[in-house]
Formats: sequence, structure tokens, C-alpha cells
Amino acid sequence: MKSTVERIEKKLGVKIEVVEYPAPDKDYLSKLLTELGAGNGPDLFSMPSTAAVADMVDAGYLAPITTEINAWDGYKNFYDVAKKLAVSPDGETYVMPYMLGIQENYYRKDVLEKVGISTEQPKTWDDLIARAEEIKTKTGAYGLLFPAGVSWGSGAFDEGFQHLIVGSKTPQIVTDDGKLDLNGEGVKDVFNVYKTLIDKDLMPVQPLLGPEPWVVPKYELFPAGKLVATTCGSWCYIFDWGRESKNPIPDVTKVVGTWTVPGQTGGQFVLANLAAPWAVNAKSANVELAKKALLEIGSVETQVSYAARIGNIPSNKDAASDPEFQKLTELVPIYAAAEKGTFLKQAAGFGTVAEGVARATDALLRKEVDAAGAQKILVDYVKETLGEDAVK
Amino acid sequence: MAKTLQERRAERQLMIVLLPSLLLLVAFVIYPAIYSVYLSFTNEALTGAAARAPRFVGWRNYTRLFNDAKFWNALFVTFVFVLGAAIIGQFVLGLVSAIALRRRLVFRTVFSSIILLPNAAPEVVAGFMWISMLAGGDHATLSRFVFFFGLPTADWLQVFPLAMIIVVNTWRGIATAMILLTAGLSTIPQEIYEAARMDGATPAQMFRRITLPLMMPTILLYMLISTVSTIAVFGLVYALTRGGPGGATELISIYIYNQSFTAYQLGYGAAVVVIALLVSLLLGIAYARAAKVEI
Repeated sequence: MKSTVERIEKKLGVKIEVVEYPAPDKDYLSKLLTELGAGNGPDLFSMPSTAAVADMVDAGYLAPITTEINAWDGYKNFYDVAKKLAVSPDGETYVMPYMLGIQENYYRKDVLEKVGISTEQPKTWDDLIARAEEIKTKTGAYGLLFPAGVSWGSGAFDEGFQHLIVGSKTPQIVTDDGKLDLNGEGVKDVFNVYKTLIDKDLMPVQPLLGPEPWVVPKYELFPAGKLVATTCGSWCYIFDWGRESKNPIPDVTKVVGTWTVPGQTGGQFVLANLAAPWAVNAKSANVELAKKALLEIGSVETQVSYAARIGNIPSNKDAASDPEFQKLTELVPIYAAAEKGTFLKQAAGFGTVAEGVARATDALLRKEVDAAGAQKILVDYVKETLGEDAVK
Repeated sequence: MAKTLQERRAERQLMIVLLPSLLLLVAFVIYPAIYSVYLSFTNEALTGAAARAPRFVGWRNYTRLFNDAKFWNALFVTFVFVLGAAIIGQFVLGLVSAIALRRRLVFRTVFSSIILLPNAAPEVVAGFMWISMLAGGDHATLSRFVFFFGLPTADWLQVFPLAMIIVVNTWRGIATAMILLTAGLSTIPQEIYEAARMDGATPAQMFRRITLPLMMPTILLYMLISTVSTIAVFGLVYALTRGGPGGATELISIYIYNQSFTAYQLGYGAAVVVIALLVSLLLGIAYARAAKVEI
């Protein structure tokens, strides 16, 4: 951010104060929303999740940037998927989609090859589960992880549920009139995948019920080969298991392979979302100036710099020819696949859906409900929170 | 009878002295409490359409609350937590420490310093410290300890979450209990014990017939303070478990936080605050009546 800040200060003749907010995402968003609600939020800010954007638009926190961003030269070479993700349900653009989060399944190729399990792309959900069962039988390790539970926060939705729902019988959860369609067959089928993995002891459960559920599976079990496949994003090659990890896997890009997430009965899905999109505070003292600064954040230079720091994928196709980006050898192959990214159509209430999914999967982890029961928890929670009318 | 000039002047001076405290009380306690009651009848939220234009929803938040199993779970967890940590754990250990420290012990100063130590660590730091002790795996302190005795190890915060937060909060609150109860013990004249000893009373009889009855006002005052403050415990338990696993340690304070700042439903969160406030108020009145003091 430092070089970007210096560039903005020089170009626009302003003094910028950078404020770091707390992690994890839940605490970050709580602080941001509280400040925006009180009318004293920062002029420019990033958001931890695409799912938060539509609700923040509804709350009136974000200034529209449709005119400015479309008139900006730098936007022409952005991936279409990034542009589409940036458009809110009302047709306006409110965020700078400068980075993409590209997620799929990551698996321990070395572990599978050692015991003679196929490393071929699984073709359906059943195929994926069968592979996880084979892993369990032949290695004793957990075969597959989809983040779940209340402690994982929005990750249960962003890094788990979404992977499966986009390949289900009901791949979208928003109707044309903006209602949340959560009673579909696909939602129940997705929860059934979780239930199967949990009942057959194919995914770790106890660590997911603790306060930092990602620590044991992602940073301990996977590097030790005791968890063989998990959903993750491009950043995992750098931070979770790569050069910036405290527990790195040697030759990570060679021993850790990727599968796309298969659909229920076929198809392959790579999940795309906006990584930490930036927006302008609608109540900023100088909205126009803040918008100019926002466009600078969208520069290739900033995107490449961020890619190196947070392991996400630049949205601008021009980044491919940037020598600094070429040095990020872990990200280059994933970058090429970004255009194929799939995503859920956004709507207001996604933040609530994310919390509902967390609660529903939490009940599954505790073996309190079946798939239909989990779906009921999700639907009831969203109805209680947003009102009966919000759900189809 | 008309007040004298001096009496009126004294009253005026008293009002002037009390005014700053009164203003602070109104600004930071009474007004927020009234505002919470107002919020509890709206759908105010931190995000979404309700953040832009909140509306009056009548008793909807309260109806939802009383039908929410998670709310009742939070109340139950809070009840067990207060009973275990404040009423039993801290009180018993605080009383034992207070009685022990009145005797001429060899390491009395060291002992009292050790008891006071938990209060020196900030809540969150203490929470993380306990996580490292109670975590699963071979390197956690408690697991190494039980392993030394040939017992099976466990992830204690996962297997016995409620018991563990009770232990941790008891550890944290012993010093306060000890200080208050020491003050109560020091008000009992030694002559009474000497007379009882001459009459042949045993230590147990003296404790039951002299110490406890004469300590009762202090004990009830301690119970009042401890109960109300334990209902409001948040940081320590949030750092330890965040209310999990599966709501097993979701105290009412954590439930309020989760509703207000995780689900962003400020109106609903305020309704829970109002109920928690009423529960605290009722408990306060009950203790005050038992102690036969006016509040």
C-alpha cells in the first residue's frame, strides 16, 4: 500500500492517513460497519468479502462509481468476471474490483501418488466423496475439507458452501426479483455433502468447533499430510503452505495440486470473488477526490504489489506482462484460469445468508441435524433476521 | 419545620458535589439504558436497508427472542457459569484464602501475591495464555501434566468447554472475593472467638455459628457484585472460546455481541440487553432483600 499511497499523495496533492483495522474478517467488518453507521468511517476502505457489498449499498454507505470507473482507461482490460462481480443488484458499480480471489480444491499430490490413488480431476460430487473415502481407507488421513461452522465466520459461506451450490441443481440463490431462494433442492443437497463427509469421518470436525478453526486443518493437518484435500484460494500457495507460511510444504506447487470443484452431476467450477474490494464512503468529506484516489488503487502496479502481499489474482489482464508479477510463479498459472471463474449472483442479505450457512453447518458438525434440518436452520435464520418477505 | 439557612446551604453544597456524578450517570448509564429500550422496539441494523431506514417493529424482537432456542441456551449457560464461577468457585476459594491469610502463615506475603496475580494480566492476554494451557496436542500444559500421570490427554476447551471457562473465571476472580471477604472477616471481634473457644466450641462450630452469620452482610454484598459482574463477563470467555463449541459457552454477553456485531441486528441485540438488564435488576433486588439493605 505504501507505494500506492505515495503515488496518490503526489498526484492528487493530498495527505493520506492509513489506518489498519483488526483481523479476522468478522472483527474488521464489525468495526467498519460501526464507524460507517456512526457517520465517521474512512473516506476509502476495503471490504473483506463480496457478500458484504450489496448490504452496504442498501445501507447507503457506498458512493456509486459507475460513471468514473467506466470512463477510466484502466478498466478496459479488467477481466469480465471482475467487472460483473463489481456490479450491484441495482445495476450500479460501487467497488473497485482490483483483485480476484480464485478458489478451488487443493490436494496433496505426493500423498495420493505414494499410495496409488488417482490424481485425476473428480467429475461429480459422488466421485469427489468416493476419492475422499479412498484416501481415508488407504492413508487414514482426512480426505476432504469444506470450511464450516460458526467459528469460521463468513468463510463457511465464501470458502465452503459457495463451491458446492454453484454446481448444484439450483446453482443460484437469488430470484430475478431479488428474493433469496434458499428452499431449493440444491441447498439441501449441498448440506447432504457436508453430512456425508462428517458422518463418514472424512473431514476434521473437532477443530472446526474451536475459536480459530482454520489453524489445525490448514496449518497443521494439511502440511503434515493428515488432511489430503481442502478448498482454498491462490493465497494458500504463498501463505498457508508456501514461502510465507510458518509451516511451509517444500516444493509446494509440485506436491500440492489443484482440482476444480466438480458439479453435482458434472461440470467443473472455479470460484471467483472480489478480494478485498475498495469503495468510497458515501459520507466522505470529498467524495470526488476519494473516487480519484480509488482509481489509483486500481492500477496494475498496486494490483501486482497486492498479489505479492496477499496472494490474490490481479483483475487487470495487463498484469500478465508485468515483470514483477511474473516473479510470482505460484500465481501465474492460476491467473490464466481467472476468466473462467464462476460466482453467485449477489443480493442484499448475503451477509445474513453467510451467517445462516455458518449456523446450519455448525449444527451438522455437531451431528444435531440432517441435511433438511440444516436447510431449515438456514431458512429460519434468514427469515427471522430479514423478514418473511426476503425469502422465496 | 422550616430548614435553617445552614441546612439549606449544606443541601446546596451537596447538590453541587453530586452534580458531576449525576451528569455522568445520566450520560453514560441512564440515557444508554433508555436508548436500548427504544432500540429494542426497532429493526435497527448495522448494514442492509434497516441501517438506512430503521422502523418500529413493536414486540417482534421480543417474540423472536422468546422463541429462539439459542437465547434460552445462552441464559442457561450464563446461569451455570455464574453459579459455578462466582457463587461456588470464587466465593469458596476466596473465603478459604481470606481465612488462611488471617493466620500466621510462613509464606503469607507470597501466597497473597500469588492470589492477586491473575488480576495483573489483561483479560485477552489471560485468555490466550489459558488457551495454550488447555489446548489439545502433546505440548499443552494440562495435557502434559495429565500425560505424566498416565491419563489420556484431550483438547480441554473442546471436551469440557463450560467447565473450563468456569475454572478460568474462578482463577481470575479469587482475589476480588478474597479482598472483600477479608474486609468482612476483620469486622468480627476476636473476643467472640475467644469466648467460644473457652466454651469448648470446635473450629467447625465457630465457623458455622460465628463466622458465617456475622459475615452474612458481606457475603451477600459480595454475591451481588460478583453475580452482576459475572453476568457481564465477555472478554475472557470470548478470547477463550468465542462462545463455542456449538454455543456451549455462549454466555448472554457473547450472544448479545453476536447478534449485534456479527449478525448486525442492533434492534434484536438491544432486546436481549433489556432482558439481561431485567435479570440483573431482579437478582440485585433479591440479594438486597436477603441482606435487608435499602437500595
